[in-house]
Amino acid sequence: MEKFLNSEIKAIIRQYPPVEKVLTDFGIGCGPCSVGSCLLKDIVAIHNLSAEAEQDLLTRIAGIIHPGQPIKLPARQASRPAKTKESRLSPPMQMLGVEHVLIKRLLALIPQLIATMDLTSAPGRQRILEAVDFIRSYADRYHHAKEEDILFKYFDEKTDILKVMRTDHESARGHVRAILVAVERQERDQVAEHLNAYYELLQQHIKKEDEILYPWMDRQLSDSQVGQLFAQFNEANKALSQAPQKYQALIIRLEQAA
Amino acid sequence: MKGFEGCPGSRTIDRREEQGEEEATAKVKSQLRQWPIQLHLISPQAPYYQGADVLLVADCVAYALGGFHSEYLKGKSLAIACPKLDEGQEEYTEKIKSWLEDAKVNTLTVMTMEVPCCMGLLSLAQEALAASSRKVPLKHITVGLQGDIQQEEWVKG
Repeated sequence: MEKFLNSEIKAIIRQYPPVEKVLTDFGIGCGPCSVGSCLLKDIVAIHNLSAEAEQDLLTRIAGIIHPGQPIKLPARQASRPAKTKESRLSPPMQMLGVEHVLIKRLLALIPQLIATMDLTSAPGRQRILEAVDFIRSYADRYHHAKEEDILFKYFDEKTDILKVMRTDHESARGHVRAILVAVERQERDQVAEHLNAYYELLQQHIKKEDEILYPWMDRQLSDSQVGQLFAQFNEANKALSQAPQKYQALIIRLEQAA
Repeated sequence: MKGFEGCPGSRTIDRREEQGEEEATAKVKSQLRQWPIQLHLISPQAPYYQGADVLLVADCVAYALGGFHSEYLKGKSLAIACPKLDEGQEEYTEKIKSWLEDAKVNTLTVMTMEVPCCMGLLSLAQEALAASSRKVPLKHITVGLQGDIQQEEWVKG
């Protein structure tokens, strides 16, 4: 079992597909993850399950990996912070969550943007370019940059989950670059393919952050660090102070046109 | 527990029989790093409030909460007040606002007892935060009459 706790989750699921269903039963959505490089032991720790749920989860996984064999489960790490009584995210994490709401409104528009895409006309191309501008300026420069340049610095950046988040950001940037090239060449299928890929990627990415990453980070941060983060986020927002209003207006306009 | 029903803040509770099972054997070090501490007496711009993580604590909390010094006061600056009995509380709002705007405190944590009259202290902090041009994270910790932590959460300013 120890060997599997130190194995990447994607490799475990590939070798033992029923493990994915067990994880899902405990609210752990690693199955669709685009990277899957997190170690099983880190996944168990990061989800902050109760001691009983953790034992239950590991017992079921061990039953799949070593069916019919006696199971010796690892001891729960005593150093792990106890489940906090705090129910709400801290203000800086709430700030990031609020930004997700606007990004999700853009994501919700993507299927319609693809269905009605017309790259042969300038207004048609402009519509896609406006969505790309939102992705680059708001989702990436305003939101992801706060995570990469400020938030992640409070943690060990070699942690698997942070590597996964950075990889997601890079993949998203790759899709945006591909969309821009395809719009220029008026390649409708390519634009659709990369918009769809961005849609799928960001949906999963935001879900991971809202449900797993931010609550986990909040449990690690001291009150003092929460205050520092809040001040740094506000400072970063000042540099792009027009962005929320500008891009909210854009989303409203795109929603009304849809 | 013996007592009468009435205002939860002044209801008689006798827990003498439950006490004395655990006693500290070593001398507990105070984590207090400043004086004064009463909200009427403090200057909100005193050096120990500058950029600090500040605890605004209802008077009864430190008596109820066994680990107050080591678990909550350590590394923080302090002011105490009683939202039920203290007079001149409009001055309190101004002092909290001055912490935010002048001393540029990093965070503000309000600690109250579970009794309803204690919530006034949180209201004072929220009022000051709403009136302040500078915002900081505000946390509320509710301490039970038996010295337990009932709730700890970030709240809206």
